[in-house]
Parts: sequence; structure tokens; C-alpha cells
Amino acid sequence: MAEVNLQDVRNGVVKGISVNIRDGELFVMVGPSGAGKTTLLNMIAGLVPYEGHISIDGACVDGLPTFKRKIGYLFQDLLLFPHMSARKNILIALKRLSLSRGEKDERVSNIMELLSLAPLAKRLPDTLSGGEKQRVALARALVSSPKVLLLDEPFSSLDFRTARYLRLELKRIQSQVNTTMLFVTHNLEEAQDLGDRMGVMAEGELEQVGRVDEIMLQGKSSECGFLEKPNVFCCTYEESLGNGLIRVRWAGRALFVPEDGGKPFNRVAIHPRHVYISSYPPPGPRVNRFQGRIRKIDYKGGMAYVEVMVEEERVYAQMTTEQARSLSLSTEKSVYGILKLRALHGC
Amino acid sequence: MNRVFIIPLGVLFLFTAGVLSALFFRLSPGEIISALASEETRFALRLSLITSVFSTFLALLLGVPTGYLLARTNFPGKAILDTFLDLPLVITPLIAGVGLLFLFGQNMLGSILGKWGIHILFTPLGAVLAQSFVACPIVMRSSRAAFDRVGHRYEWAAATMGLRPSQIFFRISLPLAKQGILAGTVLGWTRAIGEFGATLMVAGAIRFKTETLPIAVYLNISSGEMSTALSCAWVLMATGFLFLLALRWIGHTPSPEISPSR
Repeated sequence: MAEVNLQDVRNGVVKGISVNIRDGELFVMVGPSGAGKTTLLNMIAGLVPYEGHISIDGACVDGLPTFKRKIGYLFQDLLLFPHMSARKNILIALKRLSLSRGEKDERVSNIMELLSLAPLAKRLPDTLSGGEKQRVALARALVSSPKVLLLDEPFSSLDFRTARYLRLELKRIQSQVNTTMLFVTHNLEEAQDLGDRMGVMAEGELEQVGRVDEIMLQGKSSECGFLEKPNVFCCTYEESLGNGLIRVRWAGRALFVPEDGGKPFNRVAIHPRHVYISSYPPPGPRVNRFQGRIRKIDYKGGMAYVEVMVEEERVYAQMTTEQARSLSLSTEKSVYGILKLRALHGC
Repeated sequence: MNRVFIIPLGVLFLFTAGVLSALFFRLSPGEIISALASEETRFALRLSLITSVFSTFLALLLGVPTGYLLARTNFPGKAILDTFLDLPLVITPLIAGVGLLFLFGQNMLGSILGKWGIHILFTPLGAVLAQSFVACPIVMRSSRAAFDRVGHRYEWAAATMGLRPSQIFFRISLPLAKQGILAGTVLGWTRAIGEFGATLMVAGAIRFKTETLPIAVYLNISSGEMSTALSCAWVLMATGFLFLLALRWIGHTPSPEISPSR
């Protein structure tokens, strides 16, 4: 475990970032492509030059070469060594530790067990599936028990189901090994699934830092429109259904919200990207649906931000410009909508 | 279209085959056998193999690190240096030989090396240096291309695992670039074993002393010993053919997929 402290860290891409990542924390840095997230990780790893100060576990690492920084790094493209088997890929990460051969073997076996990799030990990376490669890379990054683990969108190339599974695995492993982790992503869902705290980066600057749920609820209109203000609806708490859902009343209709183990609430929040709009009544169960009239559509950066009036409530939906065009959306048009159940938060 | 292109292919094949058969059919089988068994041919083959192996080793020693450095670093004047290092590929070997002759002559390095008992000119060591001069840029160029192909990101990954730069080079970069370097080495070696002009100037053409296969061909043609000259030429071509075949095999060996660098 280790604390990571950045003080006014900058180079051509990153413009003076100061943040403290606490011991054993899983900190998620979100931001759109080109925000400088990967550059920030590379700076912490000592792979690119920077100005400012970085300390890991209380020790200043400025000027220290990468191989002395005692960090782990899970790259977006994984970078498994193609000439080594899965086991050797993991074993080589123990080079820095002065352990006996037997101890190294034991460590490798343990981490492979933890990530269910034992049957893949002798396979070359070329022969592994995307998810398997991801697990090998994760094992390699964790096996030496680094003080800090940097993760650069490692699950971005996987299908939704596998990515989600690996996110949960990562969360489980993090709670077991207690390594301080900095996970960068452009995917807000990943931030929601993983993070204790999160930071929002845009154009090389750190715009916000805070608890994931706080930021998701408060939102902030960043210049690039990455993290738009979420929908926050006032509601009336009705009852817990006992199946992990809570029923509330909003705009004259019932809404079902996932139970979060907390107290009763009178507001629900949902990010505009999880509000789906349709010109016709959508098929499927009639849960968390609404009907309304479009008040305004804003087009910005390839995205469409649609404001829909439902009774007296305003609901914001976000979609790509192409999606908006294919739906032939226009002001005053009557539309149907769905609030994604799992994306609703009580607060 | 492919049918049309068969014509140039046929011409090229006939051209090569014509030259080779013209060399081969001038000799009777008996002449070939006795020339191959001659002391001189065997000496020339042995010396060619020894000098070319040493010169290729020297080319590897100098070419691989240089190729790595050029692939990984940027500095002012790099393009000029890069082009400059390719010059031996375009200089006529005879001219290169004259340059080496002057460089290692008594007026320059020769006197200094002589004090340490190292004599370059008109010795097999001279042949090694002349061959290295032409083999080095080939190995360097191939190595650079191979390291370029591997990219630096695997090295980054290794550095984050705590591997020192020397460990990264020997355990990651070199194995990943192995195939390109090997191909360059074989090419460099074939260039070295067939080297004539520079070797003639630096090592001279001394029978049973600096007589490599190309020098043996030259000496025997000069003295009218056509059968020995042609036999040596055939040994040289056969060796070259075998190694080019090896090169082709290396080129076709399946290798792990290396993601391009970003």
C-alpha cells in the first residue's frame, strides 16, 4: 500500500495537476480521449518527462527511472511479451524482487490461481482470448505486489459482459491485495463500478475530485461536455420491494430504483446517457418509462442533448448526433423514454 | 497480367542460369573434383569461412547496438549520421579498400597498432576488417528496422516491472527483434564472404596467406588456372546459395505477433 501525491504535475499535455491518492484506494480518473489521462499515468511511471513533484509512499520519485519506482502498470494494449508463455510473462515481473526460484514459482502459482489462469500457463499470448490476455496482464501487474498499480483503460477493447466481469474481479482483487490503484477510463460506468473516489480530467486539467456518487450526482458542465449535469428528480419514497428494488413515485408514475443499502431517499439521479428516447412506444416491460414532449435539442461535439418535458419535470437525454437524426427528433415532438434501471441512484 | 509477367521472370531465370552454366560447363567433372580437392581451394574456403565469421561477429557487435540506438533515440544531426553510416553500402569496395589501406598504413593507425604487435595490412586480419566494413551497415540497417518494428512500448512495460535497461535489452528487445537481426546477419555474412575489392587492397592477394575464395578466383584467373578459379567460384556460389536459402527459411519461420508501436 502507498499514497500517491501529485503536486502541480505538468508537461505539454497535462497542465498542472495536484491530487492525493490515498493508501489502498481505487481512484478512477475519467475523461474523454485526449484529456491527458494516459500521459498522467506515464508521468507517474516515469516514462515521460514532467515538471512538478510526484511522491509514492512518501518518497519523492522525481528523476527516478521507471524500473526503480516499484509500480505496476496495466497498459491499454496490455503489452504481453509475445515470445513468452503466460507463466513466463508473469514470472518476469518478479525480476525486481530478490526471491528464491521456489518463492517466485509459488507467487506465480498463487496469482494464477487467484485469477483462474492455471490452465493457460504454457500458452503464448497469441493463442489467448481477449479476456484471458487481460487476466494474464493483470496477474503480471499484481504479482510483485507493487506499491501502486496504474491501469490504463485495460478493459476498453472487451465486450460489455467480459469487461464488467473483469471490473468486478478487479474490485474483488483490490480488496484482497489492498494495492493503491489509479484506473483511468473514458467510461463513466467503469468509474461507477470501480471507484472509491474519482477525478474528472478534461484538456489536461483536473476539473473535479470527489466520491464517485457525489460527482455523478452533482455533475459539472465541463467545456468538452464530457460530464454533463445528471438528471436529479424529486420523488416520494414508497417502499422497498425486497428484491433489491425500491419503488418511488415521480411525475405521477412509479419508478423502480436499485436498493443501495442506504436510508430512504427523496431524490433519484440518472446520467443523461442512460435515458433512452424513442419515437414509438418501446417494446418490453413497462418499467421506468415515460412519455413527454421535446423542449430543446442541443448539438455539441457529435452528441445531441435532448431536453424532454414530462409533466412539469425536465428530463435530459444524451445520444450521438446520428442516433438523434435517425429518430427524426425535433422540438415539440412527442417521444417515449426509458430510464435505465441499473443507472438510477437514490440520494 | 500474371501470364505477361512470366516473360520477364523467364528472362531473369535464363540470364542467371546461363551465366552459371557457362561457368560450370567449361569444366569436366574430373577437373572440378581435383580442383575442389586441391590444397589451395581448401585453404581459401577455410580462410573465407574464418574471416567471414569473424567479420560478421564484428558487424553484429557494432551493428546491433548502433541499430538499437538509432531506433530508440533522437538527437540533432541524426539523419545526417544515419545517412553517413550507410555510405559503405554505396562506396565501391575498391575505394573503401584504398581508404582502409591509408587508415591502417604506417602514416596513420598502422604505426600505433604496430607498437602493440597488431598488423592489419596484408594479413588475414586485414581481410576481416575489409569484410566488416561492408557487412556492418547491412547488419546495422536490418537491426534498426527490426527494433523499429518492435517499438518501445514493450520496453516500457518491462521497465515498469523493475527490469534494468540491460535486462530489458537482452530479455525483451533482442529476442523480439531476433528474426530481423538474423536475416541481416545472414545477408551481411554473404556480403562478407564474397567481398573482393576492399580485401584485395587491405589484405593483398597472397597465396596461402590472405587467399580468400574471391581472391583465389582472382589469383587463378590471373595465372591461367581456370579450373581452380572456377571451382573456387562454384564453392563460393554454393555457400552463398545455401545461406540465402537459410535466410528465406528464417523469413518464413512463424514468429509471435508483435503489435506495432504507438
